[in-house]
Formats: sequence, structure tokens, C-alpha cells
Amino acid sequence: MRRRALKEDLRLKKIIKNIRLADWMLFLVLLVVSVAGIFITKEALPRGTDVTIEINGEPAYTFPLNVDRMIPVSSSYGETLVEIKEGRVRIREAHCPNRICVKQGWVSKGVIICLPNKILVIVGSGGGDKPGKDIDAVTG
Amino acid sequence: MNKLKGNRKIYITALLLCMALFASCVAEKQSMYKKSRMLMDTFVTITVVSGSADEADEAIEKAFSAVERFGGLINFFSDKSEIAEINRKAGRSEVKVSPATIDIVERAVYVAAKSGGAFDPTIGPVSKLWDFTKKKKPSGVRIRNNLRLVNYKNIIIDRDKQTVFLKEKDMLLDLGGIAKGYAADLAVINLQRHGIKSGLVAVAGDIRAFGSRPDGGEWKIGVKNPRQKNGSDEIIARISLSNKAVSTSGDYERYFFINGRRFHHLLDPKTGYPAECCRSVSMIADEGVFADGFSTAVFILGPEKGLELVQALGMDAIIIDNNGKIHATPGLEGRFEIEENH
Repeated sequence: MRRRALKEDLRLKKIIKNIRLADWMLFLVLLVVSVAGIFITKEALPRGTDVTIEINGEPAYTFPLNVDRMIPVSSSYGETLVEIKEGRVRIREAHCPNRICVKQGWVSKGVIICLPNKILVIVGSGGGDKPGKDIDAVTG
Repeated sequence: MNKLKGNRKIYITALLLCMALFASCVAEKQSMYKKSRMLMDTFVTITVVSGSADEADEAIEKAFSAVERFGGLINFFSDKSEIAEINRKAGRSEVKVSPATIDIVERAVYVAAKSGGAFDPTIGPVSKLWDFTKKKKPSGVRIRNNLRLVNYKNIIIDRDKQTVFLKEKDMLLDLGGIAKGYAADLAVINLQRHGIKSGLVAVAGDIRAFGSRPDGGEWKIGVKNPRQKNGSDEIIARISLSNKAVSTSGDYERYFFINGRRFHHLLDPKTGYPAECCRSVSMIADEGVFADGFSTAVFILGPEKGLELVQALGMDAIIIDNNGKIHATPGLEGRFEIEENH
């Protein structure tokens, strides 16, 4: 009787061992799925529409497009004022020579470039200078 | 007992397979890495396809450095550039320059000769009379006077001595019409040297593509609409490219209006006035330097003579004439589509 109980106990231990392996696999699958989920949501889902301001080629600020605000940016020609309002953005004030950036006015997608100040304002869903989602670059 | 061992083996194998699959997803997934920098007075954007962010970053930085160095050599507006030195010594003495400068000047002269002078890198004395930001149109007399200095045949290159000489005093060599395309070529060479097999370099609108996108497809390039009215019609057409360069010359880049007439920066070296037959020309060639140079040449020549030149060169082009009609060479069939809103 005792011997039988011991045998049962041994079998149980082995089963537990096996379950652990299965658990491991389940855990791993869940891990893979969750990590993949991060990438999938990042790649596939549309990112929130935002405004990125790059200074000298380096991204400096990112703001949502749906919150109105003024952003003073220090640049080569003094302070440049970027304004976000009602889902659009413009360069409100700049002290560069031609002020082409200011003349460009409001944009709700695409880019505003101020070459003398080396400022790039990118509007869109993280796509930056890509006007079409499937376009890699624009010539012209 | 044996059965149990067998099961265990299966479990372990499955586990290892699963891990290997996961590892392969992480390590070998080819992604696009993109960086922009302000160089040569414009935005340079480099996109590369790589399995490693570090490899991509290192290669992109090397390419940026090469473009920056080159920009320093040929900057028309900097006193320190080799081009400025050549211009200062025009009509007096030859100037010893670096191999890259010799290289690009040779190509500029080649494009000028092939296009019968429609592209001329010595247009400087005339183009400096025009001011497109202050809307200044020079007088006919001044244009005529300076036109006599415009002649690419007066650029003397000595390959052995590594020198460039401008025969006439006050001549001005300006490589602005070809330098951005050349810079894209340089960037690509540097990316490839650092192990990058696929990528896209855009020096402003001068683009060179090599290899393919991570999904295996060709790179998609939008052609800017020369008469854009709003945010939705920025692109007039799109081209699929691989291992090609594309550059566009358009009358909408720098211009002003006087009495409804558009004066833009693409000056005909024969008249000194803007060429009026086209709105834009996008040139597709193997090398950026030729796409850039010939896009200007074809723009100046106009649709008819321009298309003849394009076909003689074995290149491709999309020409939008002054009525807005789009002409494309047969070689673009299947890789070129006009946007629906046109």
C-alpha cells in the first residue's frame, strides 16, 4: 500500500515537471505575442496627429495638433514662434531674412521649412515629409 | 519512463524552435532608418534598410560627413571653397583642386556639351543679376553684357595637374545645377561602403535610390505638382524606382511675377532670360549628377528638343509643359502613374 502511494507520488512529480515545461511554452508564447503586439500596434495603427519641430536636423519637440499652444524656439535668427491652433500650425514670427516660412501660413499636413533658422516643422501622423503614406520621397 | 523522455524531447525541441523563431524575428528584421540633416544649405534625408540600428546610424553619419565635406569644396557662396578660388582666379591662373572638384566640373562640362550648352555651369555672371527674393529683373543691356562671359568651353580642366582654369576674367563657375545630384551619388557610395544594401538619399528634391524597400518592392517617389493649389494636390505623379536617380527642375522653386508673367530661376544660357516651355522636368538616370544636370538642360530645351535629348542619352524623363500636359518617355511605362486628382 505504501509502495503504491510512493509510486503515485513519483508519477505526480513527473507530471508536475511536464506541466512546468508546458507552462514554460505557454509563457513564452504569451511573451512573443505581447512583444509582437508592441511592434504591430506601433507599425500598423495610425499614430496620433502631431507636430514635430526639428532644429538643425534633430527632433526637438513633439506636440499634439489638437491642443492650441505657442512654442518659442530659439534659432539662428533669434526666437522663432511656432503656433498650433485649431488643428493647424504656422510659423507666426521669425527673424530670418526672407520670412518665407511665415508667408507659408497655416498648414494642417506636410512641412514648413525655415532654411536660415534650420527649423523644420513637420505636421502629420508621424509621417513627416511623406505626403502619401506609400511615398518614400518627393522630387521637385 | 521512455515515453516520458520522448515527450520531453518534443517539448524541448518545440521550445527551442519557438525561441529561434523569436530570435530571428528580432535580429534579422530589416527595418527602415531615416535621418535628416541640414547640409549644403538644404535638407538632406537619408533612409536605409538595415537589420541593425547601430549599423544604419554609423553608415548614415559617414554619408552625411562625406556630403558635408563635398559641400565645403563646391559652395559658390563661401570664400573658402575651391569653386570660389577658381572664380577669383578667373582669367589669371589655374587652381589646383581636389579630385572630387575635378570630377564634378568634368561632369558639368559633359552635361553642357551633350546638351549643346542648354545647361551651362558658367551661367553665374547672368544669374547673379537676377534677384528672386527682391523680385529684381535686370535690364536687357546688363544681361547682354554678362552673357558674353557665359561659355562652358572656356573651362579648362587639366586632369594630370588636377587644375581648373576659367579663361575669361569675371567668369563664374556655379555648380548649383548639378551639385545636389552629385552629393546624392557620394552619399550612396558611402552607405554602400558601410554595408548598406538598400536605401534612399534625398538631397532636397534630388533623389537616388538603391536596392529595395524592406517589403521587397521598389522605392516610390512622388513628383511635385508644379501648380499646387492646396494640401491635397502636392503630388502630380509617382514613379517606382530602384538603382536609379531622379531630379526635378521646376519654374515654381524661385520666381516672381511682373504683370502676370512668371520670371523663374531656370535661365536660358543663350538669352539670359527664364526658359518658358516647361513647368517642370523630372529626369531619371543611373547617376544623380546626370539626373540633376540634364533635368535643367531638358527644361531649357523644352518638351520637343528635350525629349529628343533624353532618348539620345538613353535616359527617362517626365516633362510637364507650359500647358500642363504631361509627357513621359516609353521607358517609364508600368513604373509611372499620374495621380487621380489630375
